[in-house]
Amino acid sequence: MSVTAERSVQAVHVHPRARDYPGSFLDGVIPNESELTCGTRIEPGKSYGFFTDTTLCIGCKACEVACKEWNALPADSVGFTGMSYDNTGGLSANTWRHVAFIEKRGPTGTRQTDQDAFQSGWLMMSDVCKHCHNAPCLEACPTGALFRTEFDTVVVQQDICNGCGYCVPACPFGVVDLNPLDGKAHKCTLCYDRLKGGLEPACAKACPTDSIQFGEVPELQARAEQRVEQLQSLGVAGAHLYGAPGGEGATGGLGHLNAFFLLTERPETYGLPPAPTRPANRVAPGLLAGLATMAGLALGALALLGGGRR
Amino acid sequence: MHDMPGPAQGGSAYDGPTYYDRPSLKPAPFNTTVVGGYIFLAGLAGAAQMLAALVRRARPPGFRRVARTGHALSLLAPTLGAGLLIYDLHTPQRFANMLRIFRRTSPMSIGTWVLMAFSGSSLATVAADWLGRVPGLRWLRPLGRAAELPAAVSGAALGTYTASLLSATSTPLWAATPRALAVRFGASSVASACAALSLAERRADNHRTARDLDTLALAALGVELAASLACRRRWRAVGLGAAEDTVSGKVLLEGGADLVGTALPIALHAAALAAPPAASRRGSALGSFATLIGSLCLRIGVLEAGDATALRPRESLGFAQPRNLPRQR
Ligand code: SF4
Ligand code: SF4
Repeated sequence: MSVTAERSVQAVHVHPRARDYPGSFLDGVIPNESELTCGTRIEPGKSYGFFTDTTLCIGCKACEVACKEWNALPADSVGFTGMSYDNTGGLSANTWRHVAFIEKRGPTGTRQTDQDAFQSGWLMMSDVCKHCHNAPCLEACPTGALFRTEFDTVVVQQDICNGCGYCVPACPFGVVDLNPLDGKAHKCTLCYDRLKGGLEPACAKACPTDSIQFGEVPELQARAEQRVEQLQSLGVAGAHLYGAPGGEGATGGLGHLNAFFLLTERPETYGLPPAPTRPANRVAPGLLAGLATMAGLALGALALLGGGRR
Repeated sequence: MHDMPGPAQGGSAYDGPTYYDRPSLKPAPFNTTVVGGYIFLAGLAGAAQMLAALVRRARPPGFRRVARTGHALSLLAPTLGAGLLIYDLHTPQRFANMLRIFRRTSPMSIGTWVLMAFSGSSLATVAADWLGRVPGLRWLRPLGRAAELPAAVSGAALGTYTASLLSATSTPLWAATPRALAVRFGASSVASACAALSLAERRADNHRTARDLDTLALAALGVELAASLACRRRWRAVGLGAAEDTVSGKVLLEGGADLVGTALPIALHAAALAAPPAASRRGSALGSFATLIGSLCLRIGVLEAGDATALRPRESLGFAQPRNLPRQR
């Protein structure tokens, strides 16, 4: 290796521990491999998530493929949707990463020809389960199949789920889904098995542009704020976070989203709700109003049926 | 190419961009007929048990028979109702996993335990009625008496928790109006139980108590109608057109629940109250049948129209706008 090549390798911040593994074939898993691939050591009790920076996404779908490969998920459909380069369509029981493709049109309805270079008319976004802080799917699950892991992520335990399906309408983002073949709910586990083994989640590790960044949530949030500032100063006026504490995407008591996004257009463009809510906040109002109705009618019944006969 | 927004559906308030008009939410994977049937039966059974306890206190003519009928109706929930619930699970052999935990943020978990309490206490009331005279089983009678209060209270919860179950989701139509929907379901439950008990009393020629039950049904139907109007107003305000422009919205909600299930029995029972008792028996029976049909239509209709709003991105994204957020407490 020439001296210049060695220097350039150093310039992309290779972790010093990487030098311990020069070979192409390894005897086993590298301890705390995530430290080498994303600078994060994975430890129980800390909060992990994704920061997906859509301005860096090139739509390669490496994340979709890596997810399917690692989790042994079958294809959903092999047809054409007619929606740009998106034949995946959306998240489902078998698809836990979905790259959205949006080709922006101008106000006249035709594609603009006066756009800046580098295909800036494209929007690509790798969607995933948000691993909500106050996760509606988890709060709805009556069996305890959905639980919060030691990494502050939200996972369905396949040996407990009875396929009641209540988590499906609970999710404000249309993520979790039942597989009709096995009758269980499925969604992104944030690679729970990989985290346990000290590995970065498959999608983030495969992402060639670091559009998907895995790490500790507070650290990712700080990094994301800086990135928004940077983009704003470069003139990307629409750059903003989706899922930051209490902000767009994390409204209505959701807290924050452990998997959050940097968007440049309004969230509906990507199919995301701007102001979702936490369904559990509606439990008490519904129950109380219902019980009050029953109590009122019960009093009416006593008055009516007992009317002057005793 | 990214499609520009098409024409807004129904009374939708949102006409901004969407992702190829694809759904932003997933509809509940419930079988609407099966789950709607359960909600109807649970409401009928729960309210019948509540009324049984009330007639025993108020002691109208024939109250013992009314209470027995109420107890018998309560069995609909632990038998057919529970069967429908288990049938709708996608892994039914694991139904007992519902009993692993209690989760207060999940009305489905709350409802499971309410159904368990209701089933146990209702079985006791029925056992006392049916077997309490058998020598050697007389101890069932005090047991049945003791079970009446828990059965009535859990019955009241069973008659209405299903509305909270639907509201505590992200499906726009259900989430938009948690209180009005609960009032509507609760009133419909009471009306359906009154209808069933009234039909039974008419068969037993106890027209006096049947008339009182019809009057109570009238009150419940009035409450239901008011709640229905409140739902409609809210759904319109937040742009959920599926309640009005879908087949289920038109046929089940407007036709079945509102016209057949509410307006018609209100008219019939009101006319019956004005007429001399003997002249109104047919009208009363017709009104009772209509109430029962309407109560079932209401539940299936709300489930179906809700699923439609989840599948329509313009309605779900329109509902998830900041202006529709609950006010900060
Ligand atoms: S995005 Fe949906 S499936 Fe994922 S944690 Fe939140 S509520 Fe659950
Ligand atoms: S389908 Fe499974 S994971 Fe979802 S709420 Fe029901 S039991 Fe829980």
